[in-house]
Amino acid sequence: MSSSAKRMDRALAPVQAPQQAEAVIYDEMFEANGEVRPAYAPLNAHVNKLSASELGDRQKTLERSFLLQGITFTVYGAGSSTERIIPTDLFPRIIDAPTWTKIEAGLKQRLLALNLFLADIYGAQKILMDGVVPRDLILGAPSFRREMIGLYVPHDSYANVCGSDLVRNETGEFMVLEDNLRVPSGVSYMLANRDASKRTFPEAFGAARVRPIENYPDLLLSTLKSMAGEWRSNPQVVVMTPGVYNSAYYEHAYLARLMGTPLVEGRDLVVHDNMVYMRTTRGLRRVDVIYRRVDDDFIDPLTFRRDTALGVAGLFNAYRAGSVVIANAPGTGVADDKAVYAYVPDIIRYYLDQDPILPNVETFLCREPASLKHVLANLDKLVVKAVGASGGYGMLIGPHATQAQRDEFAQKIKADPANYIAQPTLKLSTAPCVIEGQIEPRHVDLRPFILSGAKTVVTPGALTRVALTRGSLVVNSSQGGGSKDTWVLSEGDAGA
Amino acid sequence: MMLARVADSLYWIGRYIERAEHFCRLSEIMLSSVVDQTDSARQAALIVLRAMGEDDVDPEAALRYPVGAVRDIALDREEPGSVLSSLAAARENARQVRDQITTETWERLNMLYLRITSPQAEMAFLQNPTGFLQEVIADLHLFKGAADATMSHGEGWRFLLLGVYLERAQLIARLLDVCFGDAAGGYVLNEHFAQLSVLRMACALEPYLRVYGAEIEQRHMITFMLFDPDYPRSIRFCSARIEEHLNALASSIAPLDGPKPDRLAGRLAARVEFADYDEIAEHGASVYLANVVAECSRIHEAVYETFVAYPLEERLPA
Repeated sequence: MSSSAKRMDRALAPVQAPQQAEAVIYDEMFEANGEVRPAYAPLNAHVNKLSASELGDRQKTLERSFLLQGITFTVYGAGSSTERIIPTDLFPRIIDAPTWTKIEAGLKQRLLALNLFLADIYGAQKILMDGVVPRDLILGAPSFRREMIGLYVPHDSYANVCGSDLVRNETGEFMVLEDNLRVPSGVSYMLANRDASKRTFPEAFGAARVRPIENYPDLLLSTLKSMAGEWRSNPQVVVMTPGVYNSAYYEHAYLARLMGTPLVEGRDLVVHDNMVYMRTTRGLRRVDVIYRRVDDDFIDPLTFRRDTALGVAGLFNAYRAGSVVIANAPGTGVADDKAVYAYVPDIIRYYLDQDPILPNVETFLCREPASLKHVLANLDKLVVKAVGASGGYGMLIGPHATQAQRDEFAQKIKADPANYIAQPTLKLSTAPCVIEGQIEPRHVDLRPFILSGAKTVVTPGALTRVALTRGSLVVNSSQGGGSKDTWVLSEGDAGA
Repeated sequence: MMLARVADSLYWIGRYIERAEHFCRLSEIMLSSVVDQTDSARQAALIVLRAMGEDDVDPEAALRYPVGAVRDIALDREEPGSVLSSLAAARENARQVRDQITTETWERLNMLYLRITSPQAEMAFLQNPTGFLQEVIADLHLFKGAADATMSHGEGWRFLLLGVYLERAQLIARLLDVCFGDAAGGYVLNEHFAQLSVLRMACALEPYLRVYGAEIEQRHMITFMLFDPDYPRSIRFCSARIEEHLNALASSIAPLDGPKPDRLAGRLAARVEFADYDEIAEHGASVYLANVVAECSRIHEAVYETFVAYPLEERLPA
């Protein structure tokens, strides 16, 4: 199939299967033999009715609507700043019911184990005593907060909001690539994308029997309230944002608006007698639960970083006194550390006595001499990541790098092995995307959102992140990634 | 109950959009009046420049190239008083309180902001300056309409309108002062064209004609723009709204020491309500208007001390 054959000037139909060379990669829509997977059948039938220009128009309308709504991030340049929308792809990604059932069970299991792990390392530290996870790895991690030791956390729910990153390998199996237990973002895009895809493919949406996700804000609010339910009948919840200049500010305001809770900044809060209050027009008003979208470092200058004005002096003491809930709890980051990640299957077995439902990606810890040797010898095949970095920064994608880049990275690894992990270069699955009026496969991952308070809930939907550059594997929005809606189908549907 | 910072932002959104609208209207009238190459057209243009506080602008240069002068007033990013800067500030405040205003309201303002800051804005302005300004005014009316029609008429909406009316009272007072007060420099506004222009600057022409007919007199203009109870830009109308909103806002909180904003507003409203033209004639318009402006400033400060920047120890929970 030549690339000119893929160009669809008038009609899009039929969406075409990826080229042979890419066929070793799992495609979300097409079987290896080029047939459309059953879950995609209703969508495929409806897409065929749309012309390329119609789809292009809808894409433009969508981008305009995102811009108006202010679903943007700000790019700061010399003297001026411009606002850009996060690229959004209209063509939804579809997951059938049996596949989702497994993902859901796997995510619940994983978060349950990680919360038990956090309760343990900030408590009796049994897992360290038993040598399942190396003591120095945990206690030496910068994200380990000794201030949290011995604190009571209701329901042992340290991570109340979790956004895990899943990828699909060449056999179609979902694997966990990363757990995000600090301040995961993207849920507003999930909801905005849903809104857009419903308007673009109304018939297909109805026919496919997609599970709703619109109640996410309600679920989030009840999860947050459940954290203070033991001592307040109707807790006052607030969303705490670093402010309007934060790149995820839109999401903070969005969640506050849809939950009907105040959106506060550090300067709106005061601590008096170990109670947290917000400054309202009618005086001080008690705050019970803070859904903070601010990193640990910046929540309280008296306890954590001193050189910041974002936080609230005395907040951590109020938390320690048990008069306010901070969600996620400070110190959860130690459990999504890239090196700790390698131990998560063991952590699941240790606390739950179960095998992990969702596998990890094979990971080499450079802190271990044997692994280090292997990594250095195979740099051209591996992806190497710095333990402390995120957002697609500080990493080397071996097969895509030049020899010089690999040599440079090898020096860094040798200088500080404990700071690096390596994983095989994954063949991320592809999904069809609308690229300049044509439909082309692009690599995708999956970020579902899990809520954990008195109970654990997985939203039946996710943010599918897309590497918009052909062949690229990097889906982070800071690195040219986009996103698209994810349809999770109901049981007993055509795709099951 | 709302965050003090949120109330502060809503109040400033009100002030900034009112300022942007007023400056657009003045600019538009300046551009349309200089088309007539008469003395009174020239006078109207000078009134505009003075009412906007553009004292540093050389009036002769502005009159030679009015489109350039107005472009600076409308689109200069560096000038804090420009329409663009006001809208950017309003929008920045709206972003800060995005969770407190409805999507309809936000999108109106955001759309306007994106249009006026876009790289094409300058070209669009130069192609049709008055049309551009009229569109901005129409968009601001849509914003106010959306706020009225979709926001709860509670605390937040009242802070927004409090900002609108305080700003409006001060802007109209300034305009009246440069027309009829000492700032007019002894010039008597008695030429029909200039009078019409001034009424249009305050959006007063049609309401005025309905009350007094087409024979425009200076004393009627002053009486109307200061004391008319129904015309929405009269000082009396503005102060009645300020009083109304502050009464509602202050009713639910315990008073602090110091001047109470609702009391100050009530005093201003009463003074304006029971004043008449003779009072102006006796002391001169400037004295009267300066008093109005000063009262508005005092109300502004009292609003801050009461609702926003109050001392914490005064408002600890019981």
